[in-house]
Parts: sequence; structure tokens; C-alpha cells
Amino acid sequence: MKFALLTLLFSSSVIAQNIATDEKVVGLFYFKPIIGHVHQSAEKTSASMTAIQCSHPVKVIESSKVVVSPEWAYVEVADYRGFIRKEFLAEKRPDCFQGRYPHFFDGLNLDLSELYYWGRLYDQYIQVETRVR
Amino acid sequence: MINIFKSKLAFASLIFPLLAFSNSTKLTEEKELELVNFNSIKKVLQEDGLSQRAINKKKEVEKLKVEQAKISAQRNLTPTEEDMWGFLTEYYLVKNAQILNWDFSKPEYGVDNSFKELLEKLGFYQKKFKVLVLNTPEIYRGILPGANGEDVFLISLPFMRSMDLSKLEISMLLLEDFFRSESGLIRRRLVTKNFNEIVGSQIDKTKNQNFLKDMLKSYDEGLKKGFSFQEQFEMTKKMDSYLKAHPDLWNTYFKLLGKIDNFTKGNNLYKKYIEQYPSPQMQIKWLSPEKKVL
Repeated sequence: MKFALLTLLFSSSVIAQNIATDEKVVGLFYFKPIIGHVHQSAEKTSASMTAIQCSHPVKVIESSKVVVSPEWAYVEVADYRGFIRKEFLAEKRPDCFQGRYPHFFDGLNLDLSELYYWGRLYDQYIQVETRVR
Repeated sequence: MINIFKSKLAFASLIFPLLAFSNSTKLTEEKELELVNFNSIKKVLQEDGLSQRAINKKKEVEKLKVEQAKISAQRNLTPTEEDMWGFLTEYYLVKNAQILNWDFSKPEYGVDNSFKELLEKLGFYQKKFKVLVLNTPEIYRGILPGANGEDVFLISLPFMRSMDLSKLEISMLLLEDFFRSESGLIRRRLVTKNFNEIVGSQIDKTKNQNFLKDMLKSYDEGLKKGFSFQEQFEMTKKMDSYLKAHPDLWNTYFKLLGKIDNFTKGNNLYKKYIEQYPSPQMQIKWLSPEKKVL
């Protein structure tokens, strides 16, 4: 009985250790667009877990349990864990529109649905960029 | 003699601590002064290049102060012209999200690569755009100005489907809009009377609210208003001159105009298209080589 208990305790501690070592914080990044969403899955049209504003700090996590395509990052924002497109993340704090014109932006009095759509806009854009000559 | 020595010694013992005390305080003051007064060690600093570094540091601080002052002054201002265009376009799209119906799942059409290749073929490098697909037949297509030339192209999915447009044909329509925007036509059509007065000015809540209302109205009208024959002629000639060097592209464009002409003539839902983009038939005529009378 004691032996069984010990094995159980040992195995659970090993599992706990695996969970702990399995994940790695890649770094702290900042959100670039005016407003955006933390997605439930790594797809442009997937549901939003929470909306964040430009310059919001985002913890990028690497985990063997979560496989993402190269365009997406697995992130932690406050209590949420979800996905954000990598092109929306910057290593340095970005120069945000609402940071440059805070009083103008506050004066817009955007409601929740407008904030939601503003974030969706960046998901729906098809980006085109021609190469440098 | 001994008495004289004793009295001198007594005097000296009395004076020395006072002197020592005064000396020690002066010394510390002097030390502090030396630390603060760079002149006393000017030579050493010059030799080490530290004085130059101090001057540079001072200049840097002054620069930062100026920039900081600029930033805090900007906080009470409305956006500059470039920032304003980028903002207004997104504000319009957000405010009209339900009407324009752009928030829906759709497959990747590959328009991005096709349009990118077309622009590069024609020699347009380092250009950045956004394309937004609308799920409405109300607006067929259009272009809205973005910040620093990052325009937003709009194209209707029902229009693309009904016309059965290929990626290259869609890119040709986007190219037409690209030329319209490059000539400044789009901004000129959208700008309101008080636009220049508002951009980069001190915030006035009532004025700003009226300005935003006017701009939303102007955007709405701009997308539905369409273009004049003269504007269409100029754009078609521009297309002609750019595509002539690439006969395959020129032929695609020519055939596309024929396709639009046939389609809009036989479809009531798209009759408005000819009013907005007059007219595919005329465009074909403008592109066709002149018949020489022998």
C-alpha cells in the first residue's frame, strides 16, 4: 500500500515537473494595431477571448502541447491564453495612434461593438506588400 | 626661554585644533567644489574626452526635452493629415461594419499575390496596401485612403462571383483604383471644407464631432458617387500606357472590359455599375487603335 502511494506521488510529481518544464516564455512583446483580439484558435476568424489595445504587453509562450503555424504566436494576456498573429507583435513598445492623440481617441467614445469590429478589421485585411527594388 | 616656549606651545595647542578643524571643513568643501567645478580638472577631462561627452550629454538632454515638449503638446491636438486619413478610413469601416458586411469567413483568394506580382511587373516597388472583401452587392469596389499611402481596396464578393472574375482580372480592377488614388483623385473627392482647418489643430469637441459626421457622410457618398467620363478617360489612358509594354496583361484588361460590358447590360442588379464607372463600352473604344482611312 505504502509502495503504491509512493509510486503515485512520485509519478504525479514527475508529471507536474513536465508541465512546468514543457513551457517556455519566449519573451515579452507589444501589440501593434490600434485594437485587436486574442483568438481562441490560430485562425483569423476564430472567436475572440479578449480585445487588447496597441502597446499592450503580450507574453509569448512556447509549449510542446500547443502546435501553431509559423504566422501565429501562442500568447498569455492577463488571465487568457490564446493566439495572435506574429505580424501584430513588436519587440519594442510601438508608437500607437491612441498614444499620440489620446484626447482625440478618447473623444470618439467607441462602444463595445465598435471596439470589437475595429479589432476584427485587422483580422480581415488582406495585406499586400511589393518587394524592395 | 622655557617660559616663552611653554606659552608658545600652549598657544599652538590652542590654535592647532581650530586650524585643523577649519582646514578639514575647507578641504571637504574644496573636494566637493573640485567635483563640481570641471575647470579644475579640465585638462584631465579633455585628455580623456570626458568634457566632449558631457557636452554631448547636455545636447542630448536638450533634444529630449524638446521632443518631450512636442509630444505633450501633440496630446491635445487632432491627428496630422496622414494620420487622419488612415484613422478616418478605419473609423468609416468600423462604423459601417454591418452595412458593408466585411466580417465573414472566406477562403484565401490569392488576390494578394496576384496583385503584388502585377504591381511589381509594372515597376511599383515598396508599396503597401490592404484589401478588404465585402459581402454585399451594394458597393462593387472602391479604394479608401490610408496613412502614408497604405490605401485600403474594397471589393465585393457577390460582384466577383457574379462576374466570375479571375485573380488577374480582380487585380486589374484594383490597378484602376490604384491609379485613381495615385493621382490624388480619391482624397480630393473625400475631403470636406473644414478638413484642413481640423487636421493638426487644438481639440474642440463640438467641432471634432461635426467634422467626423461630415467625413463619414463624405466617405459614404464617395463610394457610391462614381466617376465622370473625363476621370474614366484619364484612368483608362493611364492603364493603356502602363499595360502596353505587357501585351498579355493589356489583352486581359481589354477582354475584362468586354466582359463587364456584356454582364452589366444583361443584369439589372449591376446596372448601377455603369453609372459609377462609365462606361466599359467607352473604355474599349478609348483603348482600341484608331482606324486609319486609306
